[in-house]
Amino acid sequence: MLGTLTTLMLVAPEWVLRWTKEPRGNAFWAEFVVWPLIQILIVLFIVLTLVAYLVYLERKVSAFMQARLGPMRVGPWGLLQPAADGLKLLLKEDIIPLKADKTVFQIAPIISVVAALVVLAVIPWGAAWATIANVNIGLLFILAVSSVGVLGLVLAGWASNSKYSLLGALRSSAQMISYEIGMGLSIIGALMFARTLSMSGIIEAQQADGVWYVFFQPIGFIIYLVCALGETNRAPFDLPEAESELVAGYHTEYSGFRWALFFMAEYTSMLVTSAIAVTLFLGGWSFPGLGLIKNQTLFVVVSIVIFAAKVMVLIYLYMWFRWTWPRYRYDQLMDLGWKWMIPAGLANIVLTGIWYVLALPKSRGGVFGLMQLGLRDRLAPTRWSGIIYFVVTGFVITIPIIWLVLAAINRRTRDFNLHAQRQLQIKLRAKRLQKHAEPQAAGEGAS
Amino acid sequence: MPRVKSTADRRTLGEVIKRLLLFDLFKGLFLTFSYNWRALYEKRDGGNPNQAIYTEQYPLEAARVSERFRGAPRLNLDPESGQTLCIACDLCALACPVDCIEVGSIRREVREGEKVNKKKVLTTFIFDTSRCMFCNLCSEACPTDCLELTQSFELAVYHRSGFRWDREMLEKGIDYVRYSK
Repeated sequence: MLGTLTTLMLVAPEWVLRWTKEPRGNAFWAEFVVWPLIQILIVLFIVLTLVAYLVYLERKVSAFMQARLGPMRVGPWGLLQPAADGLKLLLKEDIIPLKADKTVFQIAPIISVVAALVVLAVIPWGAAWATIANVNIGLLFILAVSSVGVLGLVLAGWASNSKYSLLGALRSSAQMISYEIGMGLSIIGALMFARTLSMSGIIEAQQADGVWYVFFQPIGFIIYLVCALGETNRAPFDLPEAESELVAGYHTEYSGFRWALFFMAEYTSMLVTSAIAVTLFLGGWSFPGLGLIKNQTLFVVVSIVIFAAKVMVLIYLYMWFRWTWPRYRYDQLMDLGWKWMIPAGLANIVLTGIWYVLALPKSRGGVFGLMQLGLRDRLAPTRWSGIIYFVVTGFVITIPIIWLVLAAINRRTRDFNLHAQRQLQIKLRAKRLQKHAEPQAAGEGAS
Repeated sequence: MPRVKSTADRRTLGEVIKRLLLFDLFKGLFLTFSYNWRALYEKRDGGNPNQAIYTEQYPLEAARVSERFRGAPRLNLDPESGQTLCIACDLCALACPVDCIEVGSIRREVREGEKVNKKKVLTTFIFDTSRCMFCNLCSEACPTDCLELTQSFELAVYHRSGFRWDREMLEKGIDYVRYSK
């Protein structure tokens, strides 16, 4: 919440200045009002349809992994199932519990879904005109706004006046706040190379360097993936809506379309986190050989398709995880967040910083001199030696060091270490046996 | 001092490496992915446990029942003469533990070649499927292999009276609506 306010405070003066100073002719209206509105409508339509079909995809994927067929009866291969579901949810009775806080109860799902949808504005769906707003603090904006989503869940849990909802909300607030830290730390490594917070700028930096940052930042990517799972409340971290414990968690009391809004928020945030991962680590809409297309329109369309394909791969990964791994216990979840993800993120930042400083040009205090000034005074690794240097340090040195750090931090004390406990018990038993045996032996000797 | 040493508690090097590389997590992922992959390319064969997808879409496809399944009753006819095999001996009705069979018969003079014999002849046969527990005792008691429990299982009807199957239904079977995909 604070994040959004800060963002707005940062952005608003510039808008006001623009509004007052620049001439408001037809060109102004076309550039700042009409064209963005068209883009927003297209993106919202596509994304909301996509979200509906993500539910279908999830059901199909889960069915295939469980030797079932999934939805088959509505339309060919059940393809009209999302429409039927949407219609059903629209027509269902809207129930508000008698003792619920009515206003907050109604606002909560809206907050949740708006926080998820606003982020879509700054995601670079493709090259050139396919991005709605190229804000120079795009990533910060995303992190700030998506953290408002947790407010929706907390309010929903509180306003429902139900124990399951409240417990779910409690869990979700603790979980999302914990994992947000790890998520924030994991992206800093990649930002060191990109040297910008603009989403399009990050993709351009990767194009200029000629490598996706997942190769420079393997640990960062893994941390991001795990934290994104925690952040979107998806299995194996779906504690807030653990059906076996909490009925449905924070949305237990919700029905009909309000419930659908929560569902929409969940899947949209899944889409958004995947999109950020693709932008930061997988080169966004860039792909080797994309530059060969000379036709501008075709180039943009192909770039959109590439971006979508990468996002879909990550989303499939999320679904794959969900239907494979069992849910974490709550203390394990917190353990993973605070004792594994955050230290690993911090260590990754420190190590990346060291490799980065060592590789600086000699005039700037570096040792190896494997970087050079590129576009917009940005330091980029030199074509081959620099890239090989960063990939090797990232994979060969950083991963073992971080593994050692994590092993040192998570070395369990005897109280919790079952292995050590068992060894101790065996020793004690041996001692008891010895004590028991000795007097007998003495007695036999006497007689 | 007796040395108690459990080998189960000590991890071998291989197990340590497996733990380090999160082997178990990837093993699970591989299993689910193999199912997903097979589901996409394998030809579907519902009800086959060796197939990636087990689902049989029952109303659309015929459901599989096992060989020893016992379902709707049937009165078999002599394949040569087309006459019923039932000799109205009433053994099935006696064997039935829930008394769901009623055999109606009359004594009649039947001409067989040159002789004229007085014989029991079947008139009516009522089989109450609502009470039947499909134990197959009637079928086993039948000396002429006339009464038999078939594999058909679609016995639902709209009214209670429909459960009382008469001789004609038992001989011809009910007209099912057969679905195909």
